[in-house]
Amino acid sequence: MSLKHHLISPLIGNNPITLQILGICSALAVTTTLSTAITMSVALTVVLCLSGGVISLMRHHIPPSIRLIIQITIVASIVIVIDQFMQAFMFEMSKRLSIFVGLIVTNCLVLGRAEAFAMRNPVVPSALDGLGNGLGYSLILLIVGTLREFLGTGGLLGVPLVKTVAEGGWFEPLGLMQLAPSAFFILGLMVWLVRVLRPEQVERPEFRLETAEDRRP
Amino acid sequence: MTGWLLDPHLMRQRSGWSPARVTLAQLIALAAPVGVSVAERGAAQIGVLTTALVTCLIWEMAFALIRERALSWHTATVALIFTVLAPETLPLWQVAMAASFGVVFGELVFGGRGYGIVSGAAAAAGFLVFSFTGAGLATVSGAMALATLPGALLLLLGGLISWRVLVSAVAVLIAFGLARDGADSLLLVLTTAVFGLVFLVADPVAAASTQPGRLVYGGLAGLLIVLFDTIEGPAIAPAAIVFACLLASLFAPLIDYLDVKLAVRRREARHG
Repeated sequence: MSLKHHLISPLIGNNPITLQILGICSALAVTTTLSTAITMSVALTVVLCLSGGVISLMRHHIPPSIRLIIQITIVASIVIVIDQFMQAFMFEMSKRLSIFVGLIVTNCLVLGRAEAFAMRNPVVPSALDGLGNGLGYSLILLIVGTLREFLGTGGLLGVPLVKTVAEGGWFEPLGLMQLAPSAFFILGLMVWLVRVLRPEQVERPEFRLETAEDRRP
Repeated sequence: MTGWLLDPHLMRQRSGWSPARVTLAQLIALAAPVGVSVAERGAAQIGVLTTALVTCLIWEMAFALIRERALSWHTATVALIFTVLAPETLPLWQVAMAASFGVVFGELVFGGRGYGIVSGAAAAAGFLVFSFTGAGLATVSGAMALATLPGALLLLLGGLISWRVLVSAVAVLIAFGLARDGADSLLLVLTTAVFGLVFLVADPVAAASTQPGRLVYGGLAGLLIVLFDTIEGPAIAPAAIVFACLLASLFAPLIDYLDVKLAVRRREARHG
């Protein structure tokens, strides 16, 4: 496997959200506007990339019995630094993201990549794997954030693009888009689309319904 | 051809019913309520009806083409139920969007009628309330309640809805109606709820499908209707019924599962 592979494959082929279905909770919570989605994407990508590198660097010295504790400690340290950085330099944004930056610690995606990849691969591939997965996560977040903000408010990044009915225009904002279920629907549609384009991602059904006609000889 | 979109519930009970026949029975039952809604709300309602019907059938045909299955025409009943729930003042593109949402996310993505877990019409109505500011649902009049009854009888006789669901939901509504507003207003409680109870809550796809489970499901739906009802006075808000139906139908598979578990345990106790 080439280095490029670690970076490219999580974008669509092995996307953490649409294939592994990890990191869904933050994908729902921070995508009401595009700006929060961008900030969250950057924060998570940095955490993934750094934690992958650091954990990989220490992988020969981490005792297997307490590896999860050490991984979480490393991830938490990086997250705290990023959280403090955001509170210092982007206070408004950090207030809007509230607890979700801190919750990157518990994001299944971060621990998943640490445990599955960084613990048994050299530093450079691990950092690239973190970066690639972060970018795959970001790609989905940006698409969902763009759709939700545009359809829900008629603007992007807080800038109105079309005039809403309330301002005398023609665009009627979809209130549902600002509520969490809409992120589920958009994610569901994206998973569907990806699996139509790449049928190898389709899971085998756990059971099949039998119709009356199947039973007839 | 294995394309028949048979409802599992119906398949067990009346395997002679084809999907198209089920749809036909439901359409006959819905004819009177839709007629009353057009008579009450005027020509604008015909626009709503046509838009909902065309939208739903286009989606069903698109999915039937992609999946190479026979049409069950069932989305027509979704369109009719939604027409009765939607106010005539609604812009037609909003009707089309809500109907598309209900029929695609409520039914077709799961594989069509009988494979999903919620009523498509309830999903469409829920989308309407959440999405468009100021878009309420139409209130149910006394004439509408009367027009619902013959259809309800037809569906009951045909085995397409269960009396257990209706009886336990109505019992809960009566109990709370008595406690809250007294005996005088009971009639109003029931008239405003009857259309939703028959065509949303009792819908076999949304409802539980074990006999004791149906009693529990109906009771749960009735309780949620009382909880969600935001209108002052005895009349029940249409949105309360829609959301009670959506939430209760999410619990229906769990209720069925528990009932089957209990039955297995009872049998084991009996036979050692």
